[in-house]
Amino acid sequence: MNGLATYISRRLGLTLVILLAVSFAVYVIFSLLPYDPAALTCGKNCNDPGIIEANRIRLGYDKPFWEQYWLFLSGLFVGRSFGTGAAAIFCPAPSFGYSFQQHACVTSLLGDALPVTVYLAVGALILWLIVGVGLGIVSAKFRGKLWDTLSTGFVLVGTSLPTFLTGLMLIIFLVIKWDGSPFPSDGYTAPDEDFGQFLLSMVLPWITLAFAFAAIYTRFVRSQILEISTEDYIRTAKAKGLSDGKILGKHTLRAALAPIVTMAGLDFAGLLGGAILTEAVFNLPGMGRLSLKAVVDIDLPVIVATTILAAAIVVVMNMILDIAYAFIDPRVRV
Amino acid sequence: MLKGKKTLKVAVATIAVATLASGLLTSCSAGASAGTITYLTNQDAWTHADPQRNYTGRDIAWFGSYMNRTLTAYDRAPGAAGSAVVPDMATDTGRASNDNKTWEFTLRDGVTFEDGSAVTCEDIKYGVSRTFATDVITDGPTYAIGMLDIPTDPATGASTYKGPYSTDANNDVASFDKAITCSADHKTITFNLKRSVGDFNYTTTYLSFGPVPKAKDTGDQYDLSPVSTGPYKIKSYKAKDQMVLVRNTAWKADSDPLRAKRAFPDKIVVKFGVASEVLDQTLLSDKNKTAVSLDAIQPTNLATLFDADGKPVKKYADRAINVYDPYVTYAAVNVKKLNCLPLRKAIYYAKDFKGLITLSGGQALAGDPADGAIKPLMGLDYAKTGYATNDKDWKPEGNVEKAQALMDEAKTACPELYARATDPKRGITYDTRDTEVAKKAAAIWIAALARVGITIKFNFIESGKYYAVVLDATKQGDLSAAGWAPDWANASTVIPELFTAEGGFPMSQNWDDAAYPAFKERVVANLSQADRKKQGAEWAALNQYAMDQMWIIPGVFSKTQEIWGSKIGGAFFWEPQGSLSFGDLYTK
Repeated sequence: MNGLATYISRRLGLTLVILLAVSFAVYVIFSLLPYDPAALTCGKNCNDPGIIEANRIRLGYDKPFWEQYWLFLSGLFVGRSFGTGAAAIFCPAPSFGYSFQQHACVTSLLGDALPVTVYLAVGALILWLIVGVGLGIVSAKFRGKLWDTLSTGFVLVGTSLPTFLTGLMLIIFLVIKWDGSPFPSDGYTAPDEDFGQFLLSMVLPWITLAFAFAAIYTRFVRSQILEISTEDYIRTAKAKGLSDGKILGKHTLRAALAPIVTMAGLDFAGLLGGAILTEAVFNLPGMGRLSLKAVVDIDLPVIVATTILAAAIVVVMNMILDIAYAFIDPRVRV
Repeated sequence: MLKGKKTLKVAVATIAVATLASGLLTSCSAGASAGTITYLTNQDAWTHADPQRNYTGRDIAWFGSYMNRTLTAYDRAPGAAGSAVVPDMATDTGRASNDNKTWEFTLRDGVTFEDGSAVTCEDIKYGVSRTFATDVITDGPTYAIGMLDIPTDPATGASTYKGPYSTDANNDVASFDKAITCSADHKTITFNLKRSVGDFNYTTTYLSFGPVPKAKDTGDQYDLSPVSTGPYKIKSYKAKDQMVLVRNTAWKADSDPLRAKRAFPDKIVVKFGVASEVLDQTLLSDKNKTAVSLDAIQPTNLATLFDADGKPVKKYADRAINVYDPYVTYAAVNVKKLNCLPLRKAIYYAKDFKGLITLSGGQALAGDPADGAIKPLMGLDYAKTGYATNDKDWKPEGNVEKAQALMDEAKTACPELYARATDPKRGITYDTRDTEVAKKAAAIWIAALARVGITIKFNFIESGKYYAVVLDATKQGDLSAAGWAPDWANASTVIPELFTAEGGFPMSQNWDDAAYPAFKERVVANLSQADRKKQGAEWAALNQYAMDQMWIIPGVFSKTQEIWGSKIGGAFFWEPQGSLSFGDLYTK
């Protein structure tokens, strides 16, 4: 067990270093963008260079790059205040800055958006794993038979239908055109507000998001199983007289698990950064909508924060996956 | 098009509007005080709910109808009658003296904030002071800064007063205190202006001239929780979710003749972030019968709603309209670069109006060829110019002979510019947004001007940066796509804004033109004209003047299409705000 603890702490340390590097890279990239952040907070009627300069000082954009980056980093631990006098605003730690477009501390915007995306991604993940892995196994087992053909059809439709179209179709036919539809037409309800409504408001987004993924996973699982089935050790197991079920459960799936977990982990991490299309179609106030709006409005503090967060999620998920391997495959535990 | 600029429209009523208007007169009395109206929008939140930052006609109309009272307001009536200024919080439409440099308003009895405390002159003064805090209170109209008699820094041109949040020791509070004074009983407010403003009571229809209670002011975050003075107040407001308004029990109907018989619904809900296609389908299918769209209908759904003449099809006859929006689109001419009248006129005659309008959806829905910078909706201030449909030489697809004759004239009158315009390697430049439609429009322009030998090269600019580029004289091309909506229901914010160096939208670069000094003199004189009829007629004449100089190449008097649910009554197009008459809507 000592070996595992060392492994985990080494991975954690490395993850922190990577996160710091990512935050620095993001900061550098955004400081190189051809936008003047001081002018952006000045509003659309602003053509007075005096006000732009005053804003620059107020928001700390007049300071040298290193100092700005330091202020950004220290804001994460001690908070930061923006503006002076009666109009000053303090964003407590961990502060990612203040969004003048949305009149809120960026951290609280992230705090509102992240749970929505987590609910969406978790539900969709469960759904697509059940459908994708299940169909994959079925179609591999009945290779060339009707079940396989049907599942190939599903894969074809699922991979070719764009998410926004699936979502729109579901809304138009199951919400708008269907009188007495149980699904709400007015977007998201938080689970602590009304759990039943929350589930109803999430069912269609889960299906929409899971649909495309389930198709990809079906194809992936099917090919994995078929490939593993030709391995020598499976033939040996068969020769030993093991039942099909045992072979599948103990040998084939076990071998297929590592690549499936890797793929699912990375897909899931990617989704936590925001499922822009699904969130937009179903009016879910998640990370995707937050990032999209920030990009459209050139809301720099929010862009920096969502980028860093998305990167952090991927980095952390990679760490979790590496640790998970240690359990799935004992050989990883060095 | 300058987005967010207050959208005004003073409309030539289309048949649809006229029908609605007559419907309203009967429906008003039918309005019942009950129910919930649900507004749907694709926006994640209001652009601004802070009265000093609200600068969009639709949003001013919405908040003005429900929550924010102002000293004066536009009458709630369909057609041109809606553009009349009437008293709101004030007892009259203002008393001018001192050659229209001093304006005085007295507050009615019983005007209160939502906590029941009386609205005083000081609250309005505080509200106006926020406009000066241009670093915090961004995006709002800045007429208070331009008009109030407060000195400006000679070096920067900025006001010496920096608003209520400034910690600067030199903040010129004394000048602000002199520019707005309050009577001892806190009921009469006096504005001292630096120049004569004959129509200052149009300016005071802006929510930015409304009250804010100092104790409740949270600077930038006041945008999330503005305090009401009207019949409704905010119960909850969450971006990307919804806003809920409920009745403001502190509001006294007898202090508010404008809204007294109109505050119909018990509850008003705004749903934010609805995907545009979902929004349109919800209304087209009448899924929510008491829903109203805050957004224009998407072009792809217009054919379902309107026939070839632009009239709503039978199914939607009483719940959709197709009317002029507040905008006039045009190509701004950089007169410094295109300093050659015959060449400018040649461009106008060669332009393929028909092709461009067809591209944007056809005349019935996209709009009519414009004959100047002032729209026919402007009533008093509009008169036909001798251009576009009123010009016998003008042809919708372009008059090549006439344009060629003008090019021949340009060849001798301004040989250098002629040589550049006709040189395939150089040509003239046109700035436009980098969109798919703009690219198709570019092809139409290129083909049209090629008929008279003019080469036109397009400079596609990223949407978000468009105005930052073209409003910078060093980056502006020869022509730039533009659109403008006036700030209030007359042309005082069209002609000076577009065609003088001091204007808010100065892309014409016409101040070195020989015709400019005489024009400028008339503009300045007319700004202080107190007689609205004379002022309007003069703006119309100056519109003709600008067209005679071809300081813009006219484009389109554009249209907008709106839809609401079948159980919504009282809807008409409120011309001065260019939006539905939100405050008159009720549930059937």
